[in-house]
Amino acid sequence: MPADDDKYPASTGRRRFVKGVVGSASLAGIGTATAAAVNSTTNPVGGGGGIVDFYGVENTGGPAPRAMPQIPLEIDSEGYLKGIFPEPETRTLESGAEITVAEMELGGITYGPKWFQYCGVQTFKGVRPEADQDNYFRYIGNSKFDWQNENVEDGQKMHVDDFDDYGSWGNGIGQSGLGKPAQGKWRSQDVSGGETLPIEVIRSERIEEQAQGNEWLSASTEEGFLAHLNKCTHFCCVPTFKGLAGSAAAGGADQIYCQCHQSTYDPFSIVEKSFVSLPRPEE
Amino acid sequence: MTDNEQTDNTGEAQADGGSDSAESGPRQDPRPDGGGTGIVPPDDETPTWSERKQRTQGLSRLTYEYFERARSEDQDLRQESSYVERDVLAFPTWPHEMIRNLSLTSFFVGMIIFLAATLPPHLGPPADPSSTPAVILPDWYLYWSFGLLKLGPLNPELAILGGEKLLADRTYGVMANVVIVGIIAIVPFLNKGSARRPVEQPFWAAFGMAGLAFAWTISALSIKNLVPIDAHLLFDLTFLLPVVVGTITYAVLKSMREGYMFDLNRRYYRLRPPK
Repeated sequence: MPADDDKYPASTGRRRFVKGVVGSASLAGIGTATAAAVNSTTNPVGGGGGIVDFYGVENTGGPAPRAMPQIPLEIDSEGYLKGIFPEPETRTLESGAEITVAEMELGGITYGPKWFQYCGVQTFKGVRPEADQDNYFRYIGNSKFDWQNENVEDGQKMHVDDFDDYGSWGNGIGQSGLGKPAQGKWRSQDVSGGETLPIEVIRSERIEEQAQGNEWLSASTEEGFLAHLNKCTHFCCVPTFKGLAGSAAAGGADQIYCQCHQSTYDPFSIVEKSFVSLPRPEE
Repeated sequence: MTDNEQTDNTGEAQADGGSDSAESGPRQDPRPDGGGTGIVPPDDETPTWSERKQRTQGLSRLTYEYFERARSEDQDLRQESSYVERDVLAFPTWPHEMIRNLSLTSFFVGMIIFLAATLPPHLGPPADPSSTPAVILPDWYLYWSFGLLKLGPLNPELAILGGEKLLADRTYGVMANVVIVGIIAIVPFLNKGSARRPVEQPFWAAFGMAGLAFAWTISALSIKNLVPIDAHLLFDLTFLLPVVVGTITYAVLKSMREGYMFDLNRRYYRLRPPK
């Protein structure tokens, strides 16, 4: 009789079987619970993501992967610039769930807030279809443009008259008379600074010419005004058109130039692209 | 054998190969190494026969004498000193080490508190995500890596892929970092660093100078939007300048070897203390 015989029962086939069953069951339980916990905390709930086609200002240089999406605009009767945003509508799915969707056919393409759902913008209140926002473009306070910082104030609505000299405007960067830009925000009233949707508006004679006979441009621009979401598709910086003298080094003096990694976009070349739009989180 | 017998017979000290014993008049000379039987029990310090042979002539003999002299002087100094060596391994943790550590800690904590109290705290306004600063760069010591991300023009457009690039430019930039860090990592395996002065190994000196120059030029490339040089010229200079610097270094060091009479004094330059 071995010395430790009284400490543990003898290892029998039955005991090994029971140990195996209990052990594997508890391991499986731990795995399932972990998977459920990870799922519940990281599940990308919400909607409005997926592959989407959009029109944007073409990426011509630098590491940015694609164009920056354009924001179609209109001018109201008083001359204020207003972005077009689809009316939200509630649809009932076959499963009985109700979803709010903002989509519209515009200029031969389906336009909606999906276009802007990258770089964290998908979490902003402004891209929610049901967000209670008017769609006017408003100036921001600290822009890269002297004319904007001197003539208009933060939060003021953009007006056509502010861009009267667009045919000759220049600030010493690149060629004068190409167009007059302004930095602004859109659908960002009463939201925290981190949720401001940055936009840029450019008024140019070239846009006016290109809009002739172009279905999309004639629907999305007006009187030479072109607006785009001002988030570089590379790392989400805020580029500018003729905002920085350093743009000449990257060949971007007459283009939209991002100072972070020298990406350039040509505002006078509107292209159709597609990307995987990120879903909006649930409320 | 005859030497030994002679020594035994006369009981006198004799130098190595003491064939001139007949001519040596004064017999009170100090007994030099190699006298006596020459038979000693081997220990760790006993030179091997090949070592003894190496030490009998030329520069190696000179070196041996030099170090032996230095060692014996050192030993004399130790023996004359009044310092008593004791078998103490270390001080006790408490209180000796602990009090020293506490005083050091108190000093540095005090300095931190002093600086925190003296310098006004800086808390800038929150970042504005709707406006990016005009100059936005990584810390200066990361410029080289930042520059390696901008090697897009070196990324080949392969004909076999129909003019497409195998890697995206951004992936290519990251791979360039791996390559550079890999080169730096294998240099110690290719060269042990035994040279004491650049003339000994002009190639590796030139390699190092080229690397140093590349660190500067790739850093300059990373801030190309702020460098007042044409972007394409700067890109070319980034890779040409290190080659030029390396070539000049190699040429200068090679011609300096003549001034050092390197071939003649090679053994001296390669000299290392014996183990």
